[in-house]
Amino acid sequence: MPDLSKMKKPDVKVVLLGDMNVGKTSLLHRYMERKFKDTVSTVGGAFFLKQWGPYNISIWDTAGREQFHGLGSMYCRGAAAVILTYDVTNWQSLAEIEERFLSLTDTANHDCIYALVGNKADLTDPKVHLSQDADGQTKDPTGGDEERTEPQVLSAVPTPPASPTSFSGLVLHKQVTRDDALSLYERILRYKGLDEKSSLPADKMCFETSAKTGYNVDVLFETLFDLVLPSILRKRHENRESPTVDLEDSGGVGSKRARSSCC
Amino acid sequence: MNCVVDVCLFSFSLDVLSEMSVKAFELVPAVERDLLMGDKARINIECIECCGKHLYVGTNDCFIHHFLLDEVTSSKGKLTYSAQKLLHKYLGLKKPVAELRAASALERLIVLCDGIVFLVDMVTLESVPSAAGGGVRIRGVTAFCINENPVNGDPFCVEMGVLSSKRRTVQVYMVFEDRVQLVKEVNTPEQPCAVSLDGYFLCLALTTQYMILNYNTGAAQDLFPYDSEEKRPIVKRISREEFLLAAPGGLGMFANAEGVSQRAPVSWSESVIAAAVCFPYVVALDENFITIHSMLDQQLKQTLSFRDGQVLQDFEGKVMLASTKAVYVLVPLPMERQIQDLLANHRVEEALILTEGAQRNIPKDKFQILHRRILQQAGFIKFGQLQFLEAQEHFRKGQLDVRELISLYPLLLPVSSTFTRCHPPLHEFADLNHLAQGDQEKVLQCKKFLITYLGEVRSTEVANGCREDVDTALLKLYAEQNHNSLLDLLASDNACVLADCIPWLEKYHKYFALGLLYHCNGQDSAALQLWIRVVDGELQDCTRSDLYEYIVDFLCCTSNLDLVWKYADWALRKDPSKGVHIFTKRPAFTDQSDLSPDDVISYLGKNQQALLLYVEHLVLEKRIQKEMIHTNLAVLYLERVLSLLSKSPTDEEQLTRAREKLQAFLRESSLYRARFILGKIDNCEKLLLERATLHGKLEEHDTALHILVHKLRDFSSAEAFCMWASSSRDSAYQRQLFHLLLGVYLDGSPPAAGAGSSELQMAAVDLLNRHGEVFDAVCVLRMLPDGWSLQLLRPFLNRAVRASMHACRTSQIALGLAHSENLQLLHDRLKEVRKPIFVSEKKGCHLCHNTFSEPNVVCLPGGVPVHTHCVAQRVRDSPTKKRLTNSSNHT
Ligand SMILES: Nc1nc2c(ncn2[C@@H]2O[C@H](COP(=O)(O)OP(=O)(O)OP(=O)(O)O)[C@@H](O)[C@H]2O)c(=O)[nH]1
Ligand SMILES: [Mg+2]
Repeated sequence: MPDLSKMKKPDVKVVLLGDMNVGKTSLLHRYMERKFKDTVSTVGGAFFLKQWGPYNISIWDTAGREQFHGLGSMYCRGAAAVILTYDVTNWQSLAEIEERFLSLTDTANHDCIYALVGNKADLTDPKVHLSQDADGQTKDPTGGDEERTEPQVLSAVPTPPASPTSFSGLVLHKQVTRDDALSLYERILRYKGLDEKSSLPADKMCFETSAKTGYNVDVLFETLFDLVLPSILRKRHENRESPTVDLEDSGGVGSKRARSSCC
Repeated sequence: MNCVVDVCLFSFSLDVLSEMSVKAFELVPAVERDLLMGDKARINIECIECCGKHLYVGTNDCFIHHFLLDEVTSSKGKLTYSAQKLLHKYLGLKKPVAELRAASALERLIVLCDGIVFLVDMVTLESVPSAAGGGVRIRGVTAFCINENPVNGDPFCVEMGVLSSKRRTVQVYMVFEDRVQLVKEVNTPEQPCAVSLDGYFLCLALTTQYMILNYNTGAAQDLFPYDSEEKRPIVKRISREEFLLAAPGGLGMFANAEGVSQRAPVSWSESVIAAAVCFPYVVALDENFITIHSMLDQQLKQTLSFRDGQVLQDFEGKVMLASTKAVYVLVPLPMERQIQDLLANHRVEEALILTEGAQRNIPKDKFQILHRRILQQAGFIKFGQLQFLEAQEHFRKGQLDVRELISLYPLLLPVSSTFTRCHPPLHEFADLNHLAQGDQEKVLQCKKFLITYLGEVRSTEVANGCREDVDTALLKLYAEQNHNSLLDLLASDNACVLADCIPWLEKYHKYFALGLLYHCNGQDSAALQLWIRVVDGELQDCTRSDLYEYIVDFLCCTSNLDLVWKYADWALRKDPSKGVHIFTKRPAFTDQSDLSPDDVISYLGKNQQALLLYVEHLVLEKRIQKEMIHTNLAVLYLERVLSLLSKSPTDEEQLTRAREKLQAFLRESSLYRARFILGKIDNCEKLLLERATLHGKLEEHDTALHILVHKLRDFSSAEAFCMWASSSRDSAYQRQLFHLLLGVYLDGSPPAAGAGSSELQMAAVDLLNRHGEVFDAVCVLRMLPDGWSLQLLRPFLNRAVRASMHACRTSQIALGLAHSENLQLLHDRLKEVRKPIFVSEKKGCHLCHNTFSEPNVVCLPGGVPVHTHCVAQRVRDSPTKKRLTNSSNHT
């Protein structure tokens, strides 16, 4: 039987959770492939490997459909970061996070990092469009991040737009305010039994993004990657201590797992 | 032989049905209905087991059939199976045979029938009596599984997990040749209904969920929920500590022993009844189809129609299926063929994923060759679609021999190239025209791509061994596309094949470039001939409008003197003043055997203008201090002046400039043979100034001044003459010259002379008034005629009187000061003679502030003791003293 386990071993796992249609797959496409493309509702789950410096990060895209709900715990097992995603134009999608998805994260690492992400910001927020100026540079309108988002290829946005309504025809009502998100984030911490003061500040871990325009997408992923680095290092350290040695990772040859002979 | 026909028909119908264009597997019949149950309609296959060549089939009428299965490869490479029936045996329980597992080391089959597990002999199919008497039996069993990753080291023992119908437990048994032994019994939270075993890990389907249970430690890990009422669970061990499970929504989920999914799930239909892995594919069986997904990208790759499917199982890597009536083998097509199929359909990404996924199954060196080839093919597919970025990336990774690409472009490879395209071909294109189908825009894009691509690879190891081909192709493209980099290529180290490029560059009128190429090939003479033809208008190439200057520059820099002698002539004829740069702008070669000035001078002999510039260069820039060369230059200047003089009408402006040059040179150089030059113009009345200068050089100042004053009557020149002729001499010499001039003025004007001489008198007066300081006033007064009015000489006399007064008074003051100083000292000395002077080691010297080490001291006025050497120093530096020594010069 062939050894199926030989794959680029991810060092750490990041999982996207959230109701169907909130744009999890679109966010991942935007980040990995730098474009916004048509999606179909995800079946089961999918994952991407992202090279981050010397590390491999696996990013799991889960299915939001109720049918696949039962798989969530398994995807979250051993996750170092979970991205809880909702749709800013849909209040219910935020409620679902608390009702359906939060409990799935029980299997995640004890030091798992949580990010709360309101996607489709382009539908409610003119700034998200304005940031797409002619030379394609995205300025972060909140001013909170120095990071620069990648140059965007925008389909048909004239610059500068005369009024917010000219972006996409209509601006939807924003159903989820930033305060709603911040207070949910605090409830999440409470659910996790985490101390607000010693945890990452809600302000830093609540994002509003647009997979469509790319707004804040790189910032989201890269902030998380930087935050999980200690987790990677700890995991590597533990592996070194443990009696089973991953010979492949350390560049050796031979069997994948050598049972230690002394016990 | 009937059977062979059947096979063909069958696979034909499957091909039609298969909807995917990848063909990863072929379904090949192994045991057909005839051989099993003939026309007995109610007999169905329930389970199969295959072990080497031995195939066992369990049926619903409680029979086990034993076949010998042989693989037959036809001459065309087609694989078929021929089955030979060895035995069949009724087990006597009237119930279907639910499960069969071979334990080949024990030569036993483990059978599950009617809820009972028991052993039969693999050869005789006889039930095995227990060592303790009676049969080996485990009752109330719903399912069992064999541990393929046993924890017990005994090869003659098989580990088995058993589920029983009544209890919520899993039992682990050791199976020996003639007995079974219960080693562990673990409780489960719910009734288990399917099990798989790997090491200590039991993977279980319970009533409402899947879980992993370590029967050694008792540790349990929930996986995910499902509904056993709704669907039949699948728990399939696929590799060490990894399982494949049927999940809600028709998913095939992967889970490892830690309860983590490391691969993305595949999407099956809801009715899947069995699954197996044949890397890199997941094969699943449902009511009507066999579906094949790739584990690499989760995509559905192939679907085969299959009715009444009963069993899908892999045996030592061989995937077998059974319908209710017949047994089949799912034969994987060779990986290479699958990849080629994908490529043939332009499914490049999938082909590459499959290739990379196949890495583990292929020896490393073989894989590398395969991988490279696939990348190259992929590159050409992308190239054909004009997706150049991707193409280039594939070419780069696949280490493509660039000549494969170049050879697509007609005529680019040099005739001398030994290249032949690889076989089998990497692509389907005959050449670029075939690829572009006459679309010139496409052709152009392809050419532009090749230009960038070759530009990038030519300096990398990709071009090793074929630099000539690469550079030649690049040169041709540059020339054809009128590309700027043509000259850069030729200016750099290149390997363009000359013979091949000549006609090409000529065709595109790139003569300048061709010349450069000749130069690269050491044929400078050919290069020059070609360029000269361009400059002379015989050939057209507007690459450089300054080609003439370029040639001059080229000759100037070449170390090949033969070339210089050969082509300088042409350059000088074309433009002597620029042509002479060949000689004047030559970089200083360290090599002494370089051009000698004498050779150049004699070479230039016929060409006056060039010669003049050259000699001028030697004298003025090289500062060569040789009499001959200076004389030569003087002669050349002179000849130029003479020739201008001889023309009529004379170009005054040119003449003035020429004379100025001559005069300046005559004045400033002191190396030329003045007598010789003078000889040439001794009686030339037009070059008086020059003659005067020459006389001056010969120190014949009388004659010189005579000419200037009497012949030329140019008094300011005469004055100037005195200045330069004495410029590097002392003041006495200068005075002498001025007196001489004064003498000439005065001698020429006897007191009672006419108008002409009063002019000389005026000159004499002016001279005195202007340069009074040079003259010795007493002498002058003696020389002057008595009749001159005082008024006339007033400025001169004023200055003379004041100067003499000044000198007199200055010396009187100095005298007075010295006198008073003397008195003061005398006074002090008298005073100090009476007083003791204290000298101690604690008190320092007033001048240098060091202590005294000996009693000898000097007293300053006021009785201050100082060192003897300090006072000596002070006297030396004293400003008074300085002033006194300088005062004689002061006016
Ligand atoms: N305007 C806008 N539309 C978006 C954005 N992100 C996603 N969408 C759209 O929302 C729909 C759902 O996107 P998906 O990415 O498939 O959503 P999902 O969360 O992966 O859904 P499931 O896979 O079913 O869980 C698609 O039609 C997207 O085009 C966004 O940022 N702005
Ligand atoms: Mg999705």
